[in-house]
Amino acid sequence: MTTLAAPARTGADKAGGGWRRRFGRLPLHFVVILLLVIWLIPTIGLFINSFRPSADVQASGWWTAIFQPSQLTLSNYTYVLDSAGIWPAFINSLFITIPATVIPIFVAAFAAYAFSWMSFPGRNILFVAVVGLLVVPLQTTFIPILQLFGVFHLNGQFLALWLAHTGYGLPFAIYLLRNFMGSLPREVFESASIDGANHVTSFLRLALPMTVPAIAALAIFQFLFVWNDLLVALIYLGAANPQNAPLTIVVANLVSSLGSGWWYLAAAAFLSTALPLVVFLSLQRYFVRGIVGGSVKG
Amino acid sequence: MTGKSTFGIRRAGVLLATAGLVFAACGSGTATTAPAASTAAGSSAAGSSAAAGSAAAGSAAASPSVPPASFDPTAIAAAKTYAATLGSNIGGSVSVLAVWGGTEQAQFLGMLQPFEDATGIKVNYTGTRDEPAVLTAGIASGQLPDVAGLPGPAQMIQYAASGKLQDLSSMLDLAAYKGQTPDSLVQLGTTSGKLAGVFLDVSAKGQIWYDPAVTGDLSTTPPASWDALTALATTDKAKATSPWCFSVESGAASGWAATDVLESFVLKSVGPTVYNSWWAGKTKWSDPAIKTAFQDLGTMVAGSFGGSARILTTNFANAGDPLFTSPPGCLFLHQASFITGLGAFANKTRLTDYNFFPFPAIDPQYSGAVEGAGDLFGAFSNTPQTAALMKYLVSSQAQTLFVAGGEFLSANKGVTNYPNSMNQGLGALLSGATSFVFDASDQMPAAMQTEFYKQLLVYIQTPSQLDAVLADLDSVQASSY
Repeated sequence: MTTLAAPARTGADKAGGGWRRRFGRLPLHFVVILLLVIWLIPTIGLFINSFRPSADVQASGWWTAIFQPSQLTLSNYTYVLDSAGIWPAFINSLFITIPATVIPIFVAAFAAYAFSWMSFPGRNILFVAVVGLLVVPLQTTFIPILQLFGVFHLNGQFLALWLAHTGYGLPFAIYLLRNFMGSLPREVFESASIDGANHVTSFLRLALPMTVPAIAALAIFQFLFVWNDLLVALIYLGAANPQNAPLTIVVANLVSSLGSGWWYLAAAAFLSTALPLVVFLSLQRYFVRGIVGGSVKG
Repeated sequence: MTGKSTFGIRRAGVLLATAGLVFAACGSGTATTAPAASTAAGSSAAGSSAAAGSAAAGSAAASPSVPPASFDPTAIAAAKTYAATLGSNIGGSVSVLAVWGGTEQAQFLGMLQPFEDATGIKVNYTGTRDEPAVLTAGIASGQLPDVAGLPGPAQMIQYAASGKLQDLSSMLDLAAYKGQTPDSLVQLGTTSGKLAGVFLDVSAKGQIWYDPAVTGDLSTTPPASWDALTALATTDKAKATSPWCFSVESGAASGWAATDVLESFVLKSVGPTVYNSWWAGKTKWSDPAIKTAFQDLGTMVAGSFGGSARILTTNFANAGDPLFTSPPGCLFLHQASFITGLGAFANKTRLTDYNFFPFPAIDPQYSGAVEGAGDLFGAFSNTPQTAALMKYLVSSQAQTLFVAGGEFLSANKGVTNYPNSMNQGLGALLSGATSFVFDASDQMPAAMQTEFYKQLLVYIQTPSQLDAVLADLDSVQASSY
């Protein structure tokens, strides 16, 4: 596609070049739109199904609704919103997710700075060990951590989930931030050091502001991981304290033990997705500004 | 120099942030919900779809302040009176873990409301279809709920042997419990002389479902024998594409629906004695009695709508959907009582759109034998709250509330007040059974059960391989008991 567009730049025939540029890009646009549609089809199907009555959802595919828009209804949404416990669960999810996003990023930023710019014995071995933890499946940790939490009577508390998610999130967070901080220009830190800055100043005034884009990206990953988590919440809350159950547990429970009621899940999924989508789409501008404004003035 | 690296950093940042946003946009659309696949066989009984969900409770977090609409006020009052006899001001709390969600959960919490009101005990209920995983982690780490649904009789024996399960005979009024419960259920809950588990609900397995509009109403004159049913299918041949509807897909537990059919054939042809020695590993799979049952199953497969391709690829919940198409795809469906809440049944009216008759006897002397399954519950603590709750849960007063939504059938013979005549019929079938046997595949050792599921799928795919299938099952039987 680039080879098609390139001749237009010669300027030998401006009118013809514009024409060729416009039509030369057609295949590119076509392919991009096609990929976009293929990519979005499952989500669109789920979205349309969330507005269809249960009998229709079970009887025919979502595309049939396109030809009969009159059958669309909000009943699935009202059912989900009316089911008791959905609002407390929403608040619980926020209570779980926000600290479980902030704590690991906070810890990881310190760790990443230390791994990048402080020299101490065993630094590389430690870093390899931390990154190595990425391959440990979190399921293998359930039983020992449950026992540990049991000693401190943490099971069923929000704190248990914060600690668990911090632990599960840290290896990736440290890996990501350390790679980003490590690629910052060494000269900046050297000149700061000559000017008398200690490590705390370097971290707070230089490393942290320059790492904002990576932190923003990491925050999105970690927020979504915790927000969408069902298993970790189930294990550490268990039966001990259902009042603390997050949205995922309540949503999963809309379905009965043999699977009836699954047609409410589409509506519930979109309600549960709404908050992360709104947050990230509205913060998008901030993220971009952070990327441009946070780095070194050159 | 710095300018160049700044550019690199900016690009890396943009890339990361974009990746995050893409992840946000598409990841959340697909990853939010829990796995929708159904769990193992016979984990619950559901009588009908009903409209229980609209009323009151739906969640673990909130206690229902309004009882489900299906509850009769006098039944609520009776349950409350009974709960008050357990102690009026016990207070405290008790945690319960079970697989029930949706309308089942609403029904369960509704049943608990009079108990909470009368005793002051707060019941913390957590429902999840991942209950076996949560319970397994809990058993291993010692962090257990007070009361929990148990995955099956085999696990119950294992937990009781390791000392985790409490002996319920000290909590319950044992004589009353034994008087109200079918013997086979009491036996199933007993291990090493201790009562370790009780059934809070049962489902009747092996009903034949049909559409009265197609075959006519058979509820008063059901086929008296398997031959009569076959003859009826031949007479009504022109009314549907095939005589049978059948499908077995159920995620990792695919095949369990076929085990139920095979169990019906075994039970109704050679009776409970052989049935019980078969699941206990004392009758071989290659025994002529079991082999005949396999052949009967093969005949059903051959006469099924869509053939083995549909059987293997359609979810069990949708097996009976062709009953209601026009023209009908099939005349009959073999499934347990919980099918009424699933697939096309969920949106049909009982009795007018669908009805059932019991699996007819192949040998007339076994016409009264019934197969069932149910949810087994055990206690992991021995607090006054747990004891009060267990007493309440098995009482006929509480069970009457439990079945009122049409979701469940009761294991308590004292419960006669079902919400509709179909559930009344299913309840009578269970309480009137000359012999009641529990789902055979659920009682087999895990390795045997898995192989049973798997080999049935092989047999449905290639019926000519019957001897190889039975030989394989025999070898697993030899090694897994």
